[in-house]
Amino acid sequence: MYARKGYELVKDLASGEKGQLQPFNEDLFNQVVDQCTQHYLELQALIRKMQEESVDVRETRNADHYGALIHHLSLIRNKRCLMAYVHNRAEIIQNFAWKVGLELLELPEEIQEKLSSSEKNYFGKHSAALQSYMAEVGIDLNVDMVPPKDPYIKVRVLDDMGEGILLSDKTANLARHSMHFLKRTDAEQYIARGLMEELTG
Amino acid sequence: MATEESTSVMDDYETLISTTDVELLKRAWRNEKSAPEILQFEASLVQRIKEQIELAEQNVEMFEADNIDPLTVSLYQMDLDRTQFLLRSYLRVRLQKIEKYLFYILKTDESLNRLSRQEQMFARRCTDDLGSHLDETVLAKLPDNYQSILKQSITSEEDDMVPVPRLDTFVICKAKQYLSGLDFEPEYSMEITEMERDLLTFVCYKFVKKPLENGKIDLV
Repeated sequence: MYARKGYELVKDLASGEKGQLQPFNEDLFNQVVDQCTQHYLELQALIRKMQEESVDVRETRNADHYGALIHHLSLIRNKRCLMAYVHNRAEIIQNFAWKVGLELLELPEEIQEKLSSSEKNYFGKHSAALQSYMAEVGIDLNVDMVPPKDPYIKVRVLDDMGEGILLSDKTANLARHSMHFLKRTDAEQYIARGLMEELTG
Repeated sequence: MATEESTSVMDDYETLISTTDVELLKRAWRNEKSAPEILQFEASLVQRIKEQIELAEQNVEMFEADNIDPLTVSLYQMDLDRTQFLLRSYLRVRLQKIEKYLFYILKTDESLNRLSRQEQMFARRCTDDLGSHLDETVLAKLPDNYQSILKQSITSEEDDMVPVPRLDTFVICKAKQYLSGLDFEPEYSMEITEMERDLLTFVCYKFVKKPLENGKIDLV
């Protein structure tokens, strides 16, 4: 049946968990693209046939016309499926910039493996656009993702940070694995750099 | 008598509180979060809030330097944090909407004009990036007549490949004053005729689009 492969491609996308990325299904994707080319060849062949029979291509409604129409519609359907596939993936990728990080290297390897090279490229460019917006406005938007509840939070130190780091109201010995109760504003910069994690619950 | 006086004082207090910039921003933020399409950017409000945040930051620093009771300082800090969150979240919700309806926003002047200058720059850049990504991955591999990003094929008369915000989704809203039929678009006069003040209403977004733009209702 025509356009079934396109449907499978979209199904592949829809069956995945929301916001999670599946590996780019290159194989199926290319099959759908090939089908498009095939439809187009047959469409042209039918139109040529009509021209050879010197019937009016625009007005005639014969079997060849409807054959061509079927190919045209199948092609469009395939195009929509392909675009939906790539576009929805692009939306998930845009979300990574918000939820995971703005640099490609910050993305965990499991995610990077699932991106096509054009998608990696797109992620980089999109993050750059976001960053330049933030620079223009002068506000970092990828911090403060959840409403603040308390000015103080509990954190665990993940890396050796040296002793005697000056916080705004005290100096603390931030040894690795030690836990502290700090001002959120003090801790945020270290959390962003991966030196601390917030303990919740 | 005494109770009457105190209620009127309370009312004054309520109206005062409800017109602070933070409260206005909260309103704008809620509306933006619930509306399916992008709303007018609150340029002057955002500017005022930014200045207030700066001022509050200076105040907190000054309090800290003056050795004022840490509890008091932390309350100010908390207030500041909340305002900052509101502002960031407001800008963020807008950017995410722009990301979602890129092509639609750029081709309709009405939407494009609602964006701040920086948002417009962002939208243009994103459209280029996403456009070239889609080109490279899909469109360049399709037959000539089917390569448009906005149209299904060259035989389409309209742009039928563009995701459009769904204005017929339902929203919950509350009127700030009594609304009569005149406050709504005439074309929906069959569907909606009036709305009581302060009554929570569950309604199709496009019916209340006009009073929302005129600031007569709030989305919840």
